[in-house]
Amino acid sequence: MSITVKKDAALRRAPGLGGQPSAKRRRTVSEQNRPLWMLTPGALLIGLIIIVPLILGIYIAMLQLDQYTIRKWISAPFVGLNNFIEAFTSTDLVHAFGNSVGFSVIATLITVPIGVYAALATQNAYRGRSLVRSLFLVPYVLPSFVVGSFWRTMLQHDGIVNKVLTGLGLPAGQWLTGPASFWVLILVEVWAAWPFIYLMALSGLQSVDQEVHEAAAIDGALWWTKLRYVIFPYLRGPVALACLIATLHHMNNFSLAFLLFGVPAPFDVQVLPTLVYSMSFTSLRFGMGAAMALISLLLIALPLYFYLKAVRLDTGTDAGGKK
Amino acid sequence: MNNTRTRLIGAAVLVSLGALGVTGCGADASSTSASDGAPNGQGKTLDVLVGANTNKADQFKAWQTHIAEAFKKQTGADLKFETFANANDELSKIQTSVVAGQGPDVYAVGTTFTPTAYSTDAFVKFDSKMWSKVGGRDRFVPATLGISGPDAQNEVGVPFTSRPYVLAYNTEMFKNAGLDKPANTWDGLLDQAKKLTTGSTYGFATGYADNYTPWKFAWAMANQSGNPLVDGKTARIDDPTVLKAYETYFGWLTKDKVVNPAAVGWNDTQAAADFASGKSAMMLMTTASSKVTFDASPVKGKYAYAVMPTVPPGQSSAPSGGQPVSSIISGDNLVIAKYSENQDLAAAYIKLLTSDDEQINYNKLFGDLPTNASAAKKVQDADPSLSPIIDSASKAKTTPFTGAWGDIQLALTNVVVQARPDLGNGSINETTLKASLAKAQKDAQASLDRASANK
Repeated sequence: MSITVKKDAALRRAPGLGGQPSAKRRRTVSEQNRPLWMLTPGALLIGLIIIVPLILGIYIAMLQLDQYTIRKWISAPFVGLNNFIEAFTSTDLVHAFGNSVGFSVIATLITVPIGVYAALATQNAYRGRSLVRSLFLVPYVLPSFVVGSFWRTMLQHDGIVNKVLTGLGLPAGQWLTGPASFWVLILVEVWAAWPFIYLMALSGLQSVDQEVHEAAAIDGALWWTKLRYVIFPYLRGPVALACLIATLHHMNNFSLAFLLFGVPAPFDVQVLPTLVYSMSFTSLRFGMGAAMALISLLLIALPLYFYLKAVRLDTGTDAGGKK
Repeated sequence: MNNTRTRLIGAAVLVSLGALGVTGCGADASSTSASDGAPNGQGKTLDVLVGANTNKADQFKAWQTHIAEAFKKQTGADLKFETFANANDELSKIQTSVVAGQGPDVYAVGTTFTPTAYSTDAFVKFDSKMWSKVGGRDRFVPATLGISGPDAQNEVGVPFTSRPYVLAYNTEMFKNAGLDKPANTWDGLLDQAKKLTTGSTYGFATGYADNYTPWKFAWAMANQSGNPLVDGKTARIDDPTVLKAYETYFGWLTKDKVVNPAAVGWNDTQAAADFASGKSAMMLMTTASSKVTFDASPVKGKYAYAVMPTVPPGQSSAPSGGQPVSSIISGDNLVIAKYSENQDLAAAYIKLLTSDDEQINYNKLFGDLPTNASAAKKVQDADPSLSPIIDSASKAKTTPFTGAWGDIQLALTNVVVQARPDLGNGSINETTLKASLAKAQKDAQASLDRASANK
């Protein structure tokens, strides 16, 4: 969505395309005679990859498309907004949305300090630093399937986690069902996703010039002051972007919830992707599933749009990166 | 790199759009020639989908080669096997093929999935001519035809294998406890389980976290009390018989304590492993395929199969109106896609698979029972230990034949999924359970309403 918005804006600004024969400000050399037509393949691809499927998706969401009508889906009965109304009134959509948002935001909030701390810890050179840096990336590069299966095995009722807990004299828990399952999903997601924040924070740290460090040292800044007023401003841009991307990733993470808890999911851990999946592929209500997917897209895209506007991540300038 | 990827994506999108565009007209391919002997398939390839048997991968491969050779000899056509690993896998395959109007010619589908397949109207209905092409309707064990279609005139599924549910019991433990064989009432069986629960061994092994088994208990017990769960167009899940069934099933763990508390998180494979290691006396709701696991375990030679109780909980004899069912009709059916351009070859393939020899061969390799009547008789005569399983097959009843069954099954499973936290805490709250059943009733009814609207 935001891509279309940006593109429109770009087109409006573009000379010769937006119907503005003489721009008020002087165009720079690089802006003159830009061969914008060369963007056509890109625009076509965007149309094919994003716009056409989106329109199809919207159309399908208005059909009563299910196992009875899928064979001739073009002639499936048109039901207008019925699927949307039913999604809100008689499914777990609102509950799942709450779960999804809670899960994503909490997971992001937890991963940020871990990722930033890990980046700071591997900033200065020391023996074995590259090994530590590689190890940090292990959870991130493991496929979701492996992560989910491993944790599921460990968290079984008679699995290793409970064995260790009881060995320490602590009570064993039910991790894969009931209220704890929500926190288990967060825990596993945090375990698998913090290296992303770490990577982004690391890239932010590496843009800090050596002179800045020296200047801070000459001014006699202590470590906290240096961290707070010198380093953190550099990190703000990349980490904010990382937060945004990570939150969206959490929100769209289907495989982890599916692998850990299966379908039908326990009520406490019913998130949007698993709900849409079970509506579409176990109840075979494809139209309804499409409607739910669209609703979740809108619910996610709206705050995202305002957030992007507010922090102006799309301008490519941020306080820390300026020189 | 990036460019290549974009181009690839673009191409993929174009191809899929093309496939979508074709769907409007690609669906109805009529059958080719109609000769009664083996059709001539020289130069043709028949595409068939079968479930992968991962337990016996080598035999499965050998079986595929053998069938392909036999088929080539009969018809001159090649056989191309596609496999699926699980039900979801198969479902996606069916969906894409049905929408695109191309894909496998013949599918092997599970019995409980047959009503859903039927409701898509994408598979060939068997009239007498079609039946004779696959060797005749009367070559099959009558009970296995129970879930081929809503009625005898509208059948799409040809029975291929039969896997009725039974229980396995540890004969040694039974002997030591002074017991002869499993009781035929649920109450009697529970009493036995209590006797067999000592220290670290438990009476029953069952997987409460399994995706496929738990609803079968509710279905069986409700049917035994005279509630078929679907009565015409009405769901009957919010019903005392169903409540009683779930309470009994959960009670084994919470009240009677005859199931290992860890079973709350088990699937059936884990439950079977528990039985196989001799830690529980009975494995409930299992099939002949578990023989592979058990024969390679410490319980080898110390276990037997028995028909599960047919008298509902709380009763000492079958109530009037109750059905003495022991199992759902379980196994696989073969269906032919309507879009297939090789209908005669498809029929010849089914005829081969359901022939006497091939059915006996399949049973030897994988343990599934024949659906071919004369093959079934031969298998039973050759191995008397199978008689409880064949007995259970004769006491099997079809699940309701409606397109809504998938949803109903899901709703029944969901009751167990949502009860698992309580189950883990050791007590089932009746109010919560009732609310859960009311929700299942609502979902099932909504699905039934859609099914009847689409009839």
